[in-house]
Amino acid sequence: VNEAETPRDRVWEVFRQESEGDPMIHGGNVRAPDEELALHYAREFYGRRQESHRLWVVPREAIVELDDPDLLQPPFDRSFKRPGGYIIKHKLEAAKARASQDGDAS
Amino acid sequence: VSEYELAPATREALAELLLTLADDEFVLGFWDSEWTGIAPMLEEDVAMSSISQDEIGHARAWYELLAGLTDDDPDRIAFGREPDAYRHAALMNHPRTDWAFTVARRYLYEHADALRLEALMRSSHAPVAELAAKMRREETYHLLHFDAWLRRLAEAGGEARERLLAAVDRLWADAQAVFTPLAGEAALLESGILPAPLSAIRAEWVERVTAAFAALGLPLPDAAAEPSGDGRSRRTDDFGWLHSQFTMVARSEAAATW
Repeated sequence: VNEAETPRDRVWEVFRQESEGDPMIHGGNVRAPDEELALHYAREFYGRRQESHRLWVVPREAIVELDDPDLLQPPFDRSFKRPGGYIIKHKLEAAKARASQDGDAS
Repeated sequence: VSEYELAPATREALAELLLTLADDEFVLGFWDSEWTGIAPMLEEDVAMSSISQDEIGHARAWYELLAGLTDDDPDRIAFGREPDAYRHAALMNHPRTDWAFTVARRYLYEHADALRLEALMRSSHAPVAELAAKMRREETYHLLHFDAWLRRLAEAGGEARERLLAAVDRLWADAQAVFTPLAGEAALLESGILPAPLSAIRAEWVERVTAAFAALGLPLPDAAAEPSGDGRSRRTDDFGWLHSQFTMVARSEAAATW
């Protein structure tokens, strides 16, 4: 029997959320033969100490991966595509000040 | 009902009930902690160890309640008795054996315990009702886990199903012992500490297990089996060995504070 093909070797990626509204963050993975035990084991590995509010358990084969450097790390300078050059701090403060003045007027 | 208002006979009956609840969880927790390191797969190893820890935690809560009632020390009750003084059901006299045996025992026990806790959640004695409600929430996961394993072994067929059936055959009579009538049961029922007779809880349990086994095409040994009178006092050499293991550290330094 090819070990890689036995169902017990199915890998499930586990994402966890610490509190409602937080982003789901990749925690790690578990091996399990089916969805039901994958959930149980995810609960044990990533939730038994009350550290998680919610878990997502995803079969690894359902993940579509992209790691092609031609697509993700193209060789030309792309710094103009970053938002770093555009400072919105002062605009935000001005907008907040306007909003509070409007609030006082009403 | 406050424990200070309890009549002496009721108080004694409550102590007996608490000891049976605690010893069931304590002994089963120790047997199944033996899977640590050797469970069928790494993930199950962690799950089984964690579930066993849950049971030891529940035992501790019951022992503490009992110690408060009898002015005793919970560690003394847990570790300071001779094997004959333990009051766990005969179901917990058996060693760990193989994985199918463990699954069969856990399945039978978890459902018995869940129904017993559901009854105790309605206890007139508030500390018992509160603890039972907390434990019942934690048992939800245990039920899901052993329901899943019972189904896996039953549906796998072949050796897995055969071992499961052999285990159920060996355990069925002793599983009834979880519901062995207590010496003080009349006082517990009269005071409302125990809201339903253990025989009535057992009838619910038999109905539930019968339906689950039928759905999986598993034969049930004997639905009419009754708990034997010594279901909570009969001890075995296997338990004697386990007792020597779990009291080893406490015996090594009797005067130590842990």
